Amino acid sequence: MTDDTTPMTDGGTDEEARTDGGPPATVPPDDETPTWTERKEHSSGLAQLTYQYFERSRREDEDLRAESTYVERDVLGFPTWPHETIRNLAITSFFVGIIVLIAALMPAHYGEPANPGSTPGIILPDWYLYWSFGLLKLNPINPSLEVLGGNIAISNEFLGITAHGIVFGAITLVPFLNKGGARRPVEQPFWAAVGVTGVVLSITLAALAIQNFFPISLDLLLTLTFMLPLVGGIITYAVLKTMREGYMYDLNRRYYMLRPPK
Amino acid sequence: MSLKKQDDMDHNAWLKNQDLTAIETAFLTTLIWLDKRLRIVDYLELLETMYYRANLQMPKSHTEQYDLDNKFWYWYPLYSLGSLSIIAYLVAAVSGALLGFYYSPSTAGAVAQGDPTAAYDSVVMIMTDVQFGYMLRSIHSWSAQFMVAAVFLHMLRVYFTGSYKEPREVNWILGVVLISLTLLFGFSGYVLPWKQLSFWAAQIGVEMALATPIVGEWAAQLLFGGFTLGQATLVRMYILHVFVLPFVVTGLIALHVGIVWVQGIAEPH
Ligand code: HEM
Repeated sequence: MTDDTTPMTDGGTDEEARTDGGPPATVPPDDETPTWTERKEHSSGLAQLTYQYFERSRREDEDLRAESTYVERDVLGFPTWPHETIRNLAITSFFVGIIVLIAALMPAHYGEPANPGSTPGIILPDWYLYWSFGLLKLNPINPSLEVLGGNIAISNEFLGITAHGIVFGAITLVPFLNKGGARRPVEQPFWAAVGVTGVVLSITLAALAIQNFFPISLDLLLTLTFMLPLVGGIITYAVLKTMREGYMYDLNRRYYMLRPPK
Repeated sequence: MSLKKQDDMDHNAWLKNQDLTAIETAFLTTLIWLDKRLRIVDYLELLETMYYRANLQMPKSHTEQYDLDNKFWYWYPLYSLGSLSIIAYLVAAVSGALLGFYYSPSTAGAVAQGDPTAAYDSVVMIMTDVQFGYMLRSIHSWSAQFMVAAVFLHMLRVYFTGSYKEPREVNWILGVVLISLTLLFGFSGYVLPWKQLSFWAAQIGVEMALATPIVGEWAAQLLFGGFTLGQATLVRMYILHVFVLPFVVTGLIALHVGIVWVQGIAEPH
């Protein structure tokens, strides 16, 4: 048995916490084991930078929490059960029901078996890839190098692939180009216009993919493919810009009533 | 220190002291027996926590706090599009697993060019012979289309509500990966029946792969199993469709939704 004056391994003297003797289960921290502060001082390079940043970040959190004026109200919102759960079940069954209904009304088809020897007149993927297929039919605008006697600079297939790269690249870059706190289209008519341009372009590209179904010349179709999105974008910009004044006035007034400037 | 085992927690003795009905005794005895072996108390605590979590009230949102609903309410249904993508994905997964019982990824059986192959025949069999087979295949096909549509619209919702801005850029990029994989899911599935359009859609795929500089031929080998289409192509598309993509897409969706969970939904200002 240990006698009562022996300090415990962590330096404490609380009898409740004392074990019933025997060697301590863990190796006691000796002078070799650095405390947190010491670790921070010992570390150098990246580890030190990490510690420093974490400390700043933690302090920032604390400051924000101290400044916060967030008020909890008595009734906070709809409870998960039953309100949210029943709503979600309703949405889910409705959606699955629609899928089953449409599947029953319009069964999938299977067409002719594959024949490597005969190319069908119209090759099409499912509708959701029409836009991508349209990008492969841009060969009329493939720049030709007159100096090389009309040779094209890049192959038509490669042009299609480049176009895909541009589309995906542009979409990926969006969050890095458009920053700031604005959330509503009216607040940023330009970016809403860019969005509408993109949506209309995906539709016109799909139309380009099924060009055989349109009784208009290919030149006209190509022009429309690029002009319609622009027109859509310009109209969006004009409309939102016009709405903006009144809308922002309303919004700002609401904010000022609730959070008068200090 | 005494060596005699002292059981402060002699549950059986405690049980005897209680005045219990037969049912209560049986229940407690079973509970104690199981708990001594499996420590189920811990799990009961988890369950209890979950019960309270499930009855949590959502905190008042920014939108509610500043009474902005009447300026934004018409966006709200669009916030369900992400979940609808998941639901359609699940329906496709279940119906697809069932289709897998009948489908065979093989180009065997065609004597002359243009003859039906084993893959094609198995699809015809599903549509005509299997009980409710046409329904299964139709549900699979339509749920796939619904999923792609929901993902497209979900992306538009995120774009037009500006929800991709800091700190949600990572989720946007993850979304771009997810939509690409969703389209690849659709494409690989389109090839499987090995019908005319499947074959020629895959042909265009190979040609595109081959036109890519540097990695082109390697990509064609990897995805299509060669430069001309055949059995290797079908099996690669099959494995992509039923093995690789399901795991990758499920994992990425979990990550995507996990990040939404951690960051909270982006609210209008
Ligand atoms: C398989 C496809 C996808 C699934 C299953 C999915 C699922 C979800 C879910 C359930 C949410 C929660 C909010 C909501 O439902 O609207 C969400 C949010 C989000 N998604 Fe997706 N998503 C997918 C594709 C995409 C795509 C293609 C993008 C964009 C390129 C994207 C970007 C985002 C972003 C940025 C958020 C956070 C939005 C916010 O906080 O308001 N996701 N996603």
